[in-house]
Amino acid sequence: MHELADRKIIHVDMDAFYASVEQYDNPELRGKPIAVGGGSDRGVVAAASYEARKYGVRSAMPSVTAKRLCPDLIFVKHRFDRYREVSTQIREIFHDYTDLVEPLSLDEAYLDVTENKYNFPSATIIAYEIRRRIYEVTGITASAGISVNKFIAKIASDYNKPNGQKTIVPEEIIPFLEELDIRKFYGIGKVTAEKMYQHGIFTGNDLKRKSLEFLVEHFGKSGGHYYKIVRGIHKSPVKANRIRKSLGAERTFSENISSEVFMKERLVQIAEEIEKRIAKSDVAGKTITLKIKYRDFKTQTRSKTMPYYIRDKETILSTAVDLLEQESFRESVRLLGITLSNLNTSKIEEEDEDENDIVEVQLGFGF
Amino acid sequence: MKFIVSSSYLQKHLQLLGGVINNNNTLPILDNFLLELTGSELKVSASDMETTIVSKLEVESEDDGSIALPAKLLLDTLKTFPEQPLTFHAVGTMITVSHDKGKSEIACAAAEEFPKAVTISEPSSTTIMGDTLATAVNKTIFAAGNDDLRPVMSGVFFQFTSDSLTFVATDAHKLVRYKREDIAASETAEFIMPKKPLNLLKAMLQGSESEVLVEYNDSNAQFSFDGTTIICRLIDGKYPNYEAVIPKENPNKLTISRTQLLNSVRRVSIFSNKTTHQIRLKMAGAELNISAEDLDYSNKADERLTCDYQGDDMQIGFNSRFLIEMLNNLTCDDVSLEMSLPNRAGILTPVDGLDEGENVTMLVMPVMLNQ
Repeated sequence: MHELADRKIIHVDMDAFYASVEQYDNPELRGKPIAVGGGSDRGVVAAASYEARKYGVRSAMPSVTAKRLCPDLIFVKHRFDRYREVSTQIREIFHDYTDLVEPLSLDEAYLDVTENKYNFPSATIIAYEIRRRIYEVTGITASAGISVNKFIAKIASDYNKPNGQKTIVPEEIIPFLEELDIRKFYGIGKVTAEKMYQHGIFTGNDLKRKSLEFLVEHFGKSGGHYYKIVRGIHKSPVKANRIRKSLGAERTFSENISSEVFMKERLVQIAEEIEKRIAKSDVAGKTITLKIKYRDFKTQTRSKTMPYYIRDKETILSTAVDLLEQESFRESVRLLGITLSNLNTSKIEEEDEDENDIVEVQLGFGF
Repeated sequence: MKFIVSSSYLQKHLQLLGGVINNNNTLPILDNFLLELTGSELKVSASDMETTIVSKLEVESEDDGSIALPAKLLLDTLKTFPEQPLTFHAVGTMITVSHDKGKSEIACAAAEEFPKAVTISEPSSTTIMGDTLATAVNKTIFAAGNDDLRPVMSGVFFQFTSDSLTFVATDAHKLVRYKREDIAASETAEFIMPKKPLNLLKAMLQGSESEVLVEYNDSNAQFSFDGTTIICRLIDGKYPNYEAVIPKENPNKLTISRTQLLNSVRRVSIFSNKTTHQIRLKMAGAELNISAEDLDYSNKADERLTCDYQGDDMQIGFNSRFLIEMLNNLTCDDVSLEMSLPNRAGILTPVDGLDEGENVTMLVMPVMLNQ
C-alpha cells in the first residue's frame, strides 16, 4: 500500500447552497442570476447562483457592487431555517455511510469512509452515491473531493465544481501538489502567499524545495504545517463533533454612524446578542475582538486578551467599549461586531493538533 | 589490638575510602571499614563488591589483628576532633577510641565477615603518571552516559596499544576521545572502566607525580599507587565502534576564542527550548551568529561573534548543554569546530595548550528540526 494511503476522506461541498435551495423552492428563479441577501443599498451577498457568478458576483460582496456587475440580479431574502432543514437532510445521508462526519458549515462536510457502513471499498463510488442521493432528496447538486486526507480532499472538491467530483489517488498526490498554485493550499491565505512570493515560492514544487528550517524561520510554527502538507501529510482526523473556536455577533447599520455615543448604544445590543449565544453553547473565552467596518468597506479589528475566561455581558461590553475608544475614527462606520475567542473549548482542540508540532530532535551516533 | 594514629591523618584517608561505600547496602558488612593491623602498618579497606579500595596507613603500634568498624560512625566522630593523637583499642568486637576529652566505644564486626578482595590472575600491566591518568579521566568522564540499558556507555573505554593510550567516553550524542601518544603499554588491551572507581582515581591523583601501576585482565582492573590500591570489576560488553562515527571530511572549519564562544552560548541558551536546548550556529564569512528560539513561547535571542571561518556558509543546531560542558572542560584559549553537514557531527578540538603527544577530540551530534 502507498505510504500516504491510510485513510479515505471525502469532502462534500454543496454548489451555491443558499442560492440553489431558493432556485429549487421557487422554480421561476431557476436559470436566473440570483443572490441571497439583502437587496437594499447596504446589503451583502450571502450566496450567489452560478448564473450570477458568471458576472463576477461573489459571496460577501456588497449588494451595490453585485448589482453593478449584474444589473438583472434578483435578490432573494435568506431563509436560514429552510437551509438548516435541507442541511439536516444532507447530513442524514452522510450518516447513512459513516458516523465520522465533520460539518464545516451548513453546506460543507468531511467524511471519513475508510471504514463505512456498507463496507464499500471505493470512496469514489461512495461520493458518487452520496451526490446522487443528495440530488434525489433535495434537488440540489453537490461536488466532492476524494483523497487520503482532509486537506487534499478539500482542494479536490473545487476541481470539477459544480456538480462534479475528483479523486486524487495516493500516487497522484505528490505530482498534484507539486503543480498546485501556492494560493490553492488550504491554510495559505493572501498574506502568507505574498510572503511566499517574496521567497520565490509560487507552486507546491517551489515550497517543497525549502527546508523545514527555512520554513520555520520565516513562517514560524505554520512553517512546519506547510512543510508537511506539500508532502501530502495532513493527519488531522475527521472530528465528528467540531469544536467551536469563536463566537460573535455583528450588526450592519441602516445608516452609517459617526458618533461614538450611537456606536456604544449598538455595542450594547450586540453584547446582549452574544450573551444569549454564550448561554446557548455554554462557553467562556479570553479574547474579545471588536470589528469595525468603515463606509469604504475597510475593516479593522482590535482585540484584547484577558488572563482569565469571561462570559458575562458587562465585561464583554466594557472591553468592547474600551477598544472602541482607542480607535480614532477617520470615516463613518457601517458595521460593528464583537467576537469572543480563545474559548475554553479550544484546549481540547489544541491537544488534538499537537501532532502538528515541530519537534527538535537530538541526533545520535547510531550506536 | 591497639594502635595510635593522628586524627586528621586518619580522617583524610578514610574520607576518600568512604567514597566507595554505598548508602544502602544489601550486605550490612559493607557499611564497615576493614582494619588489618600488622605492626606499624594499618591496612584499611572499603568495598561495594564492584569496587574495592585499600590504603596502607602508618600508625604507632606493635600489635597485629583485624576488625570491621562501622564507617559512618567513625567518619562522623573523626570530623568533630581537632588534630590530636587517638588511641584505638580493640577487645573482641568492641573498639574503644580514646581522645583528650574522653572516649567512645564502638560495636564492630568480625574481620572474617568482610568479603575478600579479588586478586587479578595473570594480569597485563602498564604504568602511567598519576596526574596524567587523572586528566584522562577528567577529560572524558563527563561525556559518559547514564543509561542503565546501555551499560557499556556508562563507563570510560581504555584502549592501550604499544604506541599510545586512548580514553573514550560517549552517551551516543556526544563523544570525547583523549589520546596520549607519549605513553604506551607493553601489550594491546581494551577494557571499559565504570565511573565510580574513576571518580575516586580522579580525586586522589589530581596533581600527583607518582607512578600508577595499572594491572588488568578480562574481568578486573587494579590501580596501585602510594600505598593505595583500587580494584574494580570491569563493565562487560563490547564498546561501540566509535572510530566509525568520527567524520573524516570536514570542509567547514570555525576557529574562535573559547571563552567568548562559551559566554555567548551560555547567554543564548537561556532562550532555547527547555527540552532540546537547541541553539543554532550560522556561519557566513568571518561572522558567527548564535541564536536560540523557543517555539512554544516567543522568546528568542541572537548574538554575533567574529571568528575565523573557512568553508561554505552553513547553519547547524546543537544542544547548548553539550557545547557548554565541552567548552568548559577544555582549558585552551582558542577552539576549532569542524563540520560537514547540518546532520553530521561537529568536531571540537583545542587549538593550543596541549602537551606534547596529547590529543583531545570532542564530537557532538546536532539537533535538527523534525516532525
